Amino acid sequence: MHNFVYREPETLEEVLALLSELGEDAKIIAGGTALIIMLKQRLLMPSHIISLRKLQDADGIDFSEETFQLGTLTTHRAIETSPLVREQIPVLSETYAQVATLRVRNMATVGGSLAHADPNQDPPVTLMALDARVRLASIDGSREVPLDQFFTDYYETVMRPDEVVTRVLIPVPVLQGGAYVKFLPRTSEDYATVGVAATVSIDPKSGECQDCRIVLGGVGPIPLRDQGGEALLKGQKLTTELLREVGDSAERLTDPVSDSRGSAEYKRAMAAIFVSRAVSQAWERALS
Amino acid sequence: MSSNKEIMQTIQLRVNGDEHSIEVPPRRLLIDCLRYDLGLTGTKEGCSVGVCGACTVLMDGQLISSCLALAVFANGRDIVTIEGVARGEQLRKIQNSFMDNGGFQCGICTPGMVISAKALLDENPNPSEDEIKEWMMGNLCRCTGYYQIIKSIQEGTAELADA
Amino acid sequence: MVTRWKLQVRGLLWMTRLPIVCVCRVFLIPQVLAKSVRYVYIVRPMSYTVIGKPLRHLEGRAKVTGKAIFTADVALPGMIWGKALRSPLPHAQIVSVDTREAEQMSGVLAVLTAQDLPDVLTGRVVYDTPVLARDRVRFIGEKVAVVAAEDPDIAESALSLIEVEYEELPAVFDPKEAMKAHAPLLHPDYKSYLHAPEKFFSDIPNVHSHVTWEVGNLEEGFAQADRVFDHTFTTHSQHQGFIEPHASVVSVDSDGRAHLWITNKMPVRAQKLLADAVGIPQEQVVVHPVFIGGDFGGKGSLMDSPLCYHLSKRTGRPVKMVMTYTEELMAGNPRHPATISLRTGVTQDGQVVARQAKVVFGSGAYAGFKPVPFVNIPGANQAAGVYGTPHVRIDAYSVYTNCVPGGHVRAPGDLQVNFAVESSMELIAEALGDDLLEFRKRNLLKDGDLLPDGHRLEHVRVDETLEAAIESSNWGKPKTGPHVGRGISASYRHIGTGEANGQISLEPDGTVKVITPVPDTGTGAHTVFQQVVAETWPLPIQKVRVEAKPELFETDSGAGGSRVTYVVGQLFKEMTEELKESVSHVVAEALDCQVGDVVFEDGQYTAKGVERSMTLAQVAKFGLGKTELSIRKTQVNRDKPQVTTFTAQVIEVEVDPDTGQVQILDLVTAHDVGTIINPIGHQGQIDGGVIQGIGFAMIEEVAMEDGQVSTLHLGDYKLPNIKDIPPLKTVLVQEEIGPAPFHSKAIGESSITPVVGAIANAVYDAVGVRIYDLPITAEKIYWALKGQNANVE
Repeated sequence: MHNFVYREPETLEEVLALLSELGEDAKIIAGGTALIIMLKQRLLMPSHIISLRKLQDADGIDFSEETFQLGTLTTHRAIETSPLVREQIPVLSETYAQVATLRVRNMATVGGSLAHADPNQDPPVTLMALDARVRLASIDGSREVPLDQFFTDYYETVMRPDEVVTRVLIPVPVLQGGAYVKFLPRTSEDYATVGVAATVSIDPKSGECQDCRIVLGGVGPIPLRDQGGEALLKGQKLTTELLREVGDSAERLTDPVSDSRGSAEYKRAMAAIFVSRAVSQAWERALS
Repeated sequence: MSSNKEIMQTIQLRVNGDEHSIEVPPRRLLIDCLRYDLGLTGTKEGCSVGVCGACTVLMDGQLISSCLALAVFANGRDIVTIEGVARGEQLRKIQNSFMDNGGFQCGICTPGMVISAKALLDENPNPSEDEIKEWMMGNLCRCTGYYQIIKSIQEGTAELADA
Repeated sequence: MVTRWKLQVRGLLWMTRLPIVCVCRVFLIPQVLAKSVRYVYIVRPMSYTVIGKPLRHLEGRAKVTGKAIFTADVALPGMIWGKALRSPLPHAQIVSVDTREAEQMSGVLAVLTAQDLPDVLTGRVVYDTPVLARDRVRFIGEKVAVVAAEDPDIAESALSLIEVEYEELPAVFDPKEAMKAHAPLLHPDYKSYLHAPEKFFSDIPNVHSHVTWEVGNLEEGFAQADRVFDHTFTTHSQHQGFIEPHASVVSVDSDGRAHLWITNKMPVRAQKLLADAVGIPQEQVVVHPVFIGGDFGGKGSLMDSPLCYHLSKRTGRPVKMVMTYTEELMAGNPRHPATISLRTGVTQDGQVVARQAKVVFGSGAYAGFKPVPFVNIPGANQAAGVYGTPHVRIDAYSVYTNCVPGGHVRAPGDLQVNFAVESSMELIAEALGDDLLEFRKRNLLKDGDLLPDGHRLEHVRVDETLEAAIESSNWGKPKTGPHVGRGISASYRHIGTGEANGQISLEPDGTVKVITPVPDTGTGAHTVFQQVVAETWPLPIQKVRVEAKPELFETDSGAGGSRVTYVVGQLFKEMTEELKESVSHVVAEALDCQVGDVVFEDGQYTAKGVERSMTLAQVAKFGLGKTELSIRKTQVNRDKPQVTTFTAQVIEVEVDPDTGQVQILDLVTAHDVGTIINPIGHQGQIDGGVIQGIGFAMIEEVAMEDGQVSTLHLGDYKLPNIKDIPPLKTVLVQEEIGPAPFHSKAIGESSITPVVGAIANAVYDAVGVRIYDLPITAEKIYWALKGQNANVE
């Protein structure tokens, strides 16, 4: 690893002031599980690393103003094991539970995972299907960005160099049923060949889909929300034919790269399969 | 492991109950701090990317990959390495169980395995086979095929064994 | 005498055949491990006190407490770190290397290129590998320069300051292309390399070793055949997957002696190889024992140690080099990819009469990692499988390419070839309309049959082993789903030969000390030695100590090749007898009696008609300086036993037809075993081999494109984890006929081989997809089900 200056401010204001001062020369570290690998590989060589690890009250899971809120330093493991999350948004705890290994989940943070913007990650996919918003802060103030407008390309987001993720907000109530299905054809610990999150609400009288979200991970430069597929589902009852159509819609949206988890063609085909699996699982859960 | 040009930072950490105050450059990884600055070579480096689990240690009671943490993260924290699992010559029952059940062969993954297993047993003294697998899936072993590791954990506990 | 046993275990009825040869009491020990899915049946005579006991590995305490010292843990005063600069090109001329800027960097102590080193090549047998590339690089990852610095970060930073100018050369990656007339020649001077085996030279471009194994007369065989089948299979590269990357430490002392710590399972040989590689006499190299963090065949080379030597010599400091796992995957010594073409002649009544096999191995850029004298891949000689075939000819070609050099990986060549053989057996049976099991059984090896290498077998127990696997599996039973399938596979593995060395002595404290040059790579070899010595005497296990001291020996075969229990165990058994004999003489002198009257009872020596008795410690003291109570011996064992070991497996899978994903529902592995010396270690070898076999079959691949490895860390090159393991049943079919001490046999390389063939056959049974190209990925099956891949049908 190269030499760098390590700063560990205790307040958000100090963090923001440093970011404002250093701009592109600084990188933020929280859990470090992604950044340290990039530093080791010398993909990033910032002169300064600013740690959020000393910030007070930057983690935590709570309700306020009709939103479910996750502090930026909340670890994956904390979300996975939170009784509140398990009860209110089970698909979220299921998703975080599928990330890498226990050790990584003990360190990796909610904010860090979003800022890292690796399209192969699991949590952004589910968070997007939950209509999550990201709160960003800079020395000029704060703003909220809907997650489906947050990612711009591989490892890139709308964040400016002087901004930091402070919170993730999920509007409640969430849709009735949610599922995250991760396709792991090699081993149980891997990035997904494709990961799909679906959330669905169903009209109890008609049995038709009232609202839904479909998001795919690992098959494009960013997590992909399939609004076309969502439109196909809305107002409809679930049939095998419909599931196939929704899967086909998603497949058209994908733009994967070939790697050790499968060729681009295979990932596209699997996107269709796993969209239909995620939707039917979310549907089933919405009914129960 | 020092270079004259680097800005050093002083960190205070407790490792296996002992307080240490040491100077490290910020780029120093926790694993290197433990292995080279403190001479605790029981913590092993395998993959260097947080996958294999050979470098597993506890930080404030939580399992982490010491290859994916900076030493400065440990400032003011409590670290337990494999050297701190036994109490002197008195082993934990889980350590004996790894010996009695063939839970290791070459031994390179064993420190990480034992630390992870002990953390599991601290939290859940009677884990099911599925719970063992879920917890231990981040600790790779190439020798055993894992069957005897499962048995070692099923038959071990986190308690100290009779000396 | 064959007895059939029935026993009831947890409500399940299991039957197994257990032939009994000794007229001793028989124990049936159902070991229940990991839920209710693992049963091990052991028959063993009662006469042993230490053999057969599930004893703890003697180094266990060091390993579970973190005190075991591996090479990377070695810390010496003043030690510095080395890092190598590697080639980014698969084949290029080195025009210039500019190290000036790197040398200027603060904290850098030395930068070396080939120009700073003696012009010598190195290797395990053939010396074809430069320590640093001199004029040209031949694969991506080949070392071009090396830096020594105060810490590894500085060394790494310095690497980025070295400028190398290359002139790219045409490269060749596919062995079949490399064998063509106008292919670029990678080693035009091959024939002049030291230890290049002339007997196996070839005129085919880039073929550095062509080995032929032949029995019978192929023409005659095919003349007898009614049908002839041709099948071709290709296999991929697998890393050994040990968790400890290669590491070396060298400290050159003021007398010029090189102290060496190295991840090497043949440390005595490493002394010789290092001496040759750096141009000093072997006596000037002192190897220090260290633990080895997994070998699986891959840790027998010098790797970075010559560089450590040169850096240490240059700087006067001890130098450590530890490869990163990325370097391991890019430039380790992975399993050889292979193309296996089988031509099989079969009679109308389903008898295999002829087999011609052509096996082409991608050797990579250098052959120096290959440890066998013929510098090829020994497993190729298994191309007739466990089937007694009267007319066989096998041609194995090892071919240079601009890829990472291949090395040995547990059962080298066996997996590749066995996959082809077991797949083709099913293809043939199907074409003949024959039953898969009956066709196999009709053709199995029998007593007196010749293997393709001309080796005659006795006590062939493949039929019983296969039968035991079938009986413990669901073979023939109704399936639990529409996409469930079962596959059979069987293999054999020789019991290895080689040179063993040792020293054994009665110590003043009354213990017997065993000194061996062989490291325990985790197999429990040292515990086996302890048990063999203790049983032979007999002594309580605590009275026998084992120490690894490779530095005391000049030659030795080390660990590997399923050799250790046989050649080293046998040596220590004989040496124990000899030491006991010496001790009897001492006792006779002390007690003033005839040697023949000396009796050893309850840990004490006495003699008929004598009242006095002596402890071992007393004997040792009495004998001090009088009689040889320390024996040292070398024994070369070139007798390949006529008894071999068989393995048969039945694997049940379920395939998801929408995705092609394969899940293993059940895995039965049956082994033809002799006396089991240590059941913990024995079962550990079986378990580990099976999972490594699954990794090879379905999970792992050192993926390469134009010589560039794309799986460069363990996040991309996946190893099986604890959640990936299937239910495993082990069936031990025991008979006390092994050639190793106490009639034991080898086990280390047995269980890995049949896995891939059994899975491939099960996939075919499940969804009708025949895999010709490994690994067996979900994707291949998916496309085959869609009818869109040429590699499968």
